[in-house]
Amino acid sequence: MGNFSGKLIAWLDHELPDNEATEVERHVKGCAECRSSVHAYGEAGNLFDAYCEAVVASKMNRKHSLWTPVLTGAAVTAAVAASLLVFLPALSKQSAPIEQLSVHSAVVPLAADVVKVGAAPVKRRQQRRDHTRIQNSARALEQNLVQSPEQDEATNWMATRQSVQIAIPGDAVFPPGVVPEGVNFIADLSIAADGSAERLHLRP
Amino acid sequence: MSGNSVPLALPLSRLATGESETTTLYRELRKPLLRYLVCLGLSMDEAQDVVQDAFLGLHRHVSGGGSQENIRGWLFRVAHNQARNRQTSYDRRFSAPLDPEIDSLLDQATPERAVLEKEKFRRMAKAIDSLTDCERECLLLRAGGLRYREIGDVLDIPTSTVGDTVDRAIKKLAEECNG
Repeated sequence: MGNFSGKLIAWLDHELPDNEATEVERHVKGCAECRSSVHAYGEAGNLFDAYCEAVVASKMNRKHSLWTPVLTGAAVTAAVAASLLVFLPALSKQSAPIEQLSVHSAVVPLAADVVKVGAAPVKRRQQRRDHTRIQNSARALEQNLVQSPEQDEATNWMATRQSVQIAIPGDAVFPPGVVPEGVNFIADLSIAADGSAERLHLRP
Repeated sequence: MSGNSVPLALPLSRLATGESETTTLYRELRKPLLRYLVCLGLSMDEAQDVVQDAFLGLHRHVSGGGSQENIRGWLFRVAHNQARNRQTSYDRRFSAPLDPEIDSLLDQATPERAVLEKEKFRRMAKAIDSLTDCERECLLLRAGGLRYREIGDVLDIPTSTVGDTVDRAIKKLAEECNG
């Protein structure tokens, strides 16, 4: 190994002048001990890099796990707000059927009791009409809640699209001062099929 | 980006007037800088703050007509100095015993591989503990892709000293990890 011991790592790092690098290279080819040392130094350097990566990944995971409840809460709040904005107008349009449904639902048990005690045919016809109206109202409500795409895109996003665009102020996501002015981020929000926030990924 | 992901525009303005160059630098150097700072012992939040400050400082530096030579070394030096100002005891945290969070990361590998990796990391943690501050910082900057001359600029030591320090540190690690 001799004089080359102190040059092997610099040679590995391409830090030697060309003439010295050539000399070391020639020596390493013919010296098993130096080849073994070079291999060991390379391994140590790679392991050091891997260890650093693991430390960073560990801290990143810890940071994510700390932020998960906050981000999930923010996403859920935003989703609920968006749902209310979308469904409230649709529900208000259907206020009449809903009222009919609730009223007639209350009537049905009473009518059934009347049938048991031999109610008049007029009452049974009224009961059937009421029952039919209940079923129709329920069907209408169901159809309005799950409309076809061409009917009203604003009210069917939940059924056909699993994403929503929401602007979240930086201050609501990060503590004050963490995001300085003058920096851009793009946030990818993935929403699972069940409507929950699946992933929120910020990238510069 | 997956099919069910949409970009959200956060109300933040652009980084710099020399946007394309600064953005390219940011993309290339953000990760190595973060890794260096985190491995120095800063928390992820602290490290991200320092990186942002360093790039804002770079913007001011370039806008003010500062030298554009060795920008990588400049950024690492600014980040290094800010880290020193923010965290005086980072070396103790970095050389702490193997973090249990790393164990959980390794658990995702096959059992045999995880056992081997854990053992290697335990030895590496012990070896890192035996390094001096200067040796550790030289290796971290080397891992960040800096040349010996750049490392010397960041740490304000001669290039020859960097060479000797890296040589000594790698030999310590190799001895500890392979011995």
